[in-house]
Amino acid sequence: MTHTTDIPPPWASQPYSVKRHGVTITNCDNEPVQTPGCVQAHGALLVLRPTDLTILQASENTDRLLGHAAQTLLNKPVRAAVGPDGEARLKAFLATEPTDRNPLHVFSLPARNGVPPLDVTAHTIDGVAVVEFEATGRTLAGEPDYYALVKKTVARLQTAQTLQEFCNLTADEFRTLTGLDRVMIYKFHADGHGEVVAESKRADLDPWLGLHYPAGDFPQPAREVFKQIWVRPTPDVAGDLAELVPLANPDTGRPLTMTYCALRGASVMYTDYLKNMTVTAGLTMPIRRAGELWGLIACHHYAGPKHVPYQVRAACEFLAQVVSLQYQAAEDREHMAYRLKLDETHQQLIAQATREDGLAALIEGAPNLIDGISASGAALYHRGRWWRVGNTPTEAELEALSEWLNDRPEFASATRPLYSANALAQAYPPAAAFADVASGLLAVPLSRANRNWILWFRPETTQTVNWGGNPHEKPTVLGPHGPRLTPRASFELFQESVRGRSLPWLTVELDAAARLRMLVLEVVVSRAQRLADLNANLTQSNEELDAFAYVASHDLKEPLRGIHKYAHQLLEDATITDKEQRRKLDGLMRLTVRMDSLLDSLLHFSRVGRAALQTEDTDLNELVNESIEMVDARRAEGPTEIAVPRPLPHARCDRVRCREIFVNLLSNALKYNDKPQKRVEIGFIAPHEVHPRASCPSGCADLTIYYVRDNGIGIPARYFEQVFKMFKRLHGRDEYGGGTGAGLTIVQKLVERHHGRVWLESTPGKGTTFYFTLAAQEEA
Amino acid sequence: MPPTKHATATLVVIEDSDEDFDTVQQAVKRAGITADVFRAATGVDGLTVLRAQASTGPTLVLMDLNTPGTDGREALAAIKSDPAFKSVPVVVLSTSGNQRDIGFCYAAGANAYHVKPVQYPQHLAVLVDVLTYWLSRVMLPAGEASRS
Repeated sequence: MTHTTDIPPPWASQPYSVKRHGVTITNCDNEPVQTPGCVQAHGALLVLRPTDLTILQASENTDRLLGHAAQTLLNKPVRAAVGPDGEARLKAFLATEPTDRNPLHVFSLPARNGVPPLDVTAHTIDGVAVVEFEATGRTLAGEPDYYALVKKTVARLQTAQTLQEFCNLTADEFRTLTGLDRVMIYKFHADGHGEVVAESKRADLDPWLGLHYPAGDFPQPAREVFKQIWVRPTPDVAGDLAELVPLANPDTGRPLTMTYCALRGASVMYTDYLKNMTVTAGLTMPIRRAGELWGLIACHHYAGPKHVPYQVRAACEFLAQVVSLQYQAAEDREHMAYRLKLDETHQQLIAQATREDGLAALIEGAPNLIDGISASGAALYHRGRWWRVGNTPTEAELEALSEWLNDRPEFASATRPLYSANALAQAYPPAAAFADVASGLLAVPLSRANRNWILWFRPETTQTVNWGGNPHEKPTVLGPHGPRLTPRASFELFQESVRGRSLPWLTVELDAAARLRMLVLEVVVSRAQRLADLNANLTQSNEELDAFAYVASHDLKEPLRGIHKYAHQLLEDATITDKEQRRKLDGLMRLTVRMDSLLDSLLHFSRVGRAALQTEDTDLNELVNESIEMVDARRAEGPTEIAVPRPLPHARCDRVRCREIFVNLLSNALKYNDKPQKRVEIGFIAPHEVHPRASCPSGCADLTIYYVRDNGIGIPARYFEQVFKMFKRLHGRDEYGGGTGAGLTIVQKLVERHHGRVWLESTPGKGTTFYFTLAAQEEA
Repeated sequence: MPPTKHATATLVVIEDSDEDFDTVQQAVKRAGITADVFRAATGVDGLTVLRAQASTGPTLVLMDLNTPGTDGREALAAIKSDPAFKSVPVVVLSTSGNQRDIGFCYAAGANAYHVKPVQYPQHLAVLVDVLTYWLSRVMLPAGEASRS
C-alpha cells in the first residue's frame, strides 16, 4: 500500500497548483494545502500590493465575476475591478481595520450584468492584501437576525448538564444555523483517529454517530490549518478550481499563502473523500481546547452545492469559538465533581497515613488508593515489601516492572515526575502477560530510590470500535484523478476489537496523582522530622536515665545502708527481746538488701542499653560452654542435663553480652524447674530449615534462630509479654531462688541491641522454649 | 608483727553520711586501733582538716567518693597533687562499683578502692579489714609518720 517513488513531489521544483498537480495517497501528509495556487471557482480573488493597491495576481475566473479577464487586470490599480469608490473604501479599510490574517467584510458590490451581488472581504498576509469576492447569498425575504440566533444558541449551550448533551446541542444548533443536511461533532482521540460523538441529521440519512475514522482520514496539514482558522467552507464539492494568474507573486516569486482565504482551493484528496461519501457541499469548524485541536464540527450537504454566505459563516465562526470555550467550561464542570471527590479521598488517605504513621495505610486502610483514582488495583513499595490492593500483577512482575520504570525519562522531570499508559504492553512488552489486570498503568515516584512507587492499574477493556471503512488500508482503487488519488473506497462499517488497552487516564486523574505524591512526600518528610525529634528526645532521656541510674546506685543506697545498720544494731541490742519486734527488724534488713539488689539490676539494665556493642565473629559453642560453667553452681541443686544436640554456628555478635543472654536463659531454665531430672537443650534452627511452629515473628524467617528449651514449670500464655517486663516476677520473691525479675528484661534488651527478636513458646507444667535471633550490624 | 606500729594513728575521714562515719568509728574500735579520727563532711573540709594535721602528718585518709560540694574526685586529685600529702595513703570507699569511677580513682593516685556493702555486718567487716591492713600491716613511708 506504500507507493515508493523516486520522483520528487511537483511542489518541490515549481509553484504548486492543486488543479494541475494534485497529490497522491502517499504524499498527502505533506501536501502544501496552504498554498494550493487555486480558488474554488464560485468566487474570485485578487492579490494587491498594499502600498498602491496594484493588482499583482488574479484568479483566472475574474471575467465571469468581475467582468474583466485576469490578464487585463494585472498591474492595474484595484479600481479597475471595483471602481474608484470601491478602491477608496478598500484603502480606508486596510488602513484602519485589523485585517492581518483576519478576513473582514469591506463592502458589497451590487448585482450587475447577471452577476449576483458580491461580498467583498479583505485581509493582509505576508506583505500582500488579499481581496475575495463571492455571492452575498441575500434573498428578497431579507436577512435572519444572526446575532439573535447566536445569542439564543449560546444561552442553550450553557444549560447543558453533561458533555454529551453539550455536543448534541452543538450539532443541532449548527444544523439550524447553516441549513446543511448533517452536522457531526468529531472528537480526535490521542492516537489521532476521529470519532463521531454527536450528530444532527436529516431524518432519512444513515446515522454515523459512534463511527470511528482512522487518523489518516484527517491529514496532518489539514489539522494544522484548523489550529489557525475558525471556518472552512466547501460550497460545491464537485465545483471547479480557478488558478491564480500568475501562480507566483511577481514581486516576491512566492506562492500566495491562502490559509485564511474562504475561497482556498481544496485538496483533491479532500474533495474525493467527500465525493466518496456522496457529500456535495461542506462546512467545517474546529473545536479547540487550550490551543490544541480537540475535534471538528463537520457539516455535510447531500443535495447539490450549498453556499453558506459570509454573514452566516461569520456567525458559525463566532459560535465555534464560543463552543470551544464553553466545551472547556462544560468539561471542567464535569471533571470538577470528580476532582473534588479525588481530592477528598486523597486527603482522607493522607490523614490516615499520618495517624497510623505509615504509608501502608494507603493500601490497607479504608478508604485506600483504589477508592480515589478509578483503578482496579494499586501497589506500593514501602518498608522493604510490596503492599497491594485489588487486582495487580504479581510481586515478581512488579519487581520487573519497577526495574523498567526506573529508566523512564518521565521521572527525570523535577516538577511533575509521572508516567501513565493505557496500552502498557506497547511500551513494555512483558506487560502483555498481565494485560488483563494492568493494561493501564499510572505511576508516581516517592523517591529516587529503587521501587519507591505508587502504582495504579487498570484492566484491559476489549472495546469494539466501529470504523467508517477499514482503517488498516488506504485502498488504491482507480479514482477520478487516476490511481494516485484514491482515498477510501468504501465506507462500509468495519468492526474491530481493540485489545491490550485500558480506559485512558484523565487529566484530572493525572493531576490528582501528582498532588497525592506531593502530600505523601510531606508525610514522609514530616515523619523523618518527627523521628529526628524523637531521637533527640531519646538521647536526652538516655542521658537522664544514666544520671538516674547513678543517683539510684549512690544516693539511694546510702540511706539504705543506714537503715540496715540501725536495724542491725537494734537486733544486737540485748534489751530488745520481744520476738515480734525482732522479726520486724529482720524484715527491715531483708527489705533493704532486696532494694539493694533491685538497684543493682536497674543500674545494670541501664548500662546494657547504652554501652556500645563490640561485635566480632564468635564461636557460639565457646560462649555456651562458658555460660554453662557460669551457671554451674545451680547444677548442684539436682540432677541436671544440659544438651547441645549439634554444634552451634558462628555468629557476629558482642561476645560478653551474648554470653549474658545464654547465662540468663540458662539460669532461668534451671531456676524455674521443679522436675527431678532437669533438662535443658540449647540449639538453633538454620534459615533454610522448616520451623515446626508458627510463633516466629515476621522478619525472622531468613535468620538463624537460637533456642534454649527446658522441661521446667512453663509459663501460661497470658504472661508471654509480661515476663519481659522490668522487675516483673510471676512468683513469690523467695520462690525459685528469688531474683529481681530483671533477667529476661536484660535478655530482651541485649537481643534488641543485636537487632534481633526474642520470643517464647511454653506449656505450663511441661516446659518453655525461648527463641532469639541475632542480626548484629553494629559497628565493631 | 605487733598489732600497731604507731601508738596513735591520725585518721582523716571524708564522709558526709553520719551513719557511715559512725560505722568507721565502730570499725576503728573493732580493729583495736588507737587513732585520732578527724572527720570532714565535704571534700573542701577534708583538705582543710588535712592541712591542719600537716604538722603531725595524717596516717591514712578514708574518703567517700560522692561527698557534697567539692566532689571526692577533686579532693582526691588535690591531695595526690600536693607534695605534702601525696605519699599519704588514700583509700576510696564508694557505693559505686562503676568501672569509670574505679579507673578514675586509681589514675588519680588512690591507693585502694572499696565498694561499701549495704548490709551493715559486711560494711563493718570491709572497714575493719581496711584499717587493719593500712594501719597495722603495711609499712608506710617514714616521712610524716616518724614525726609523730
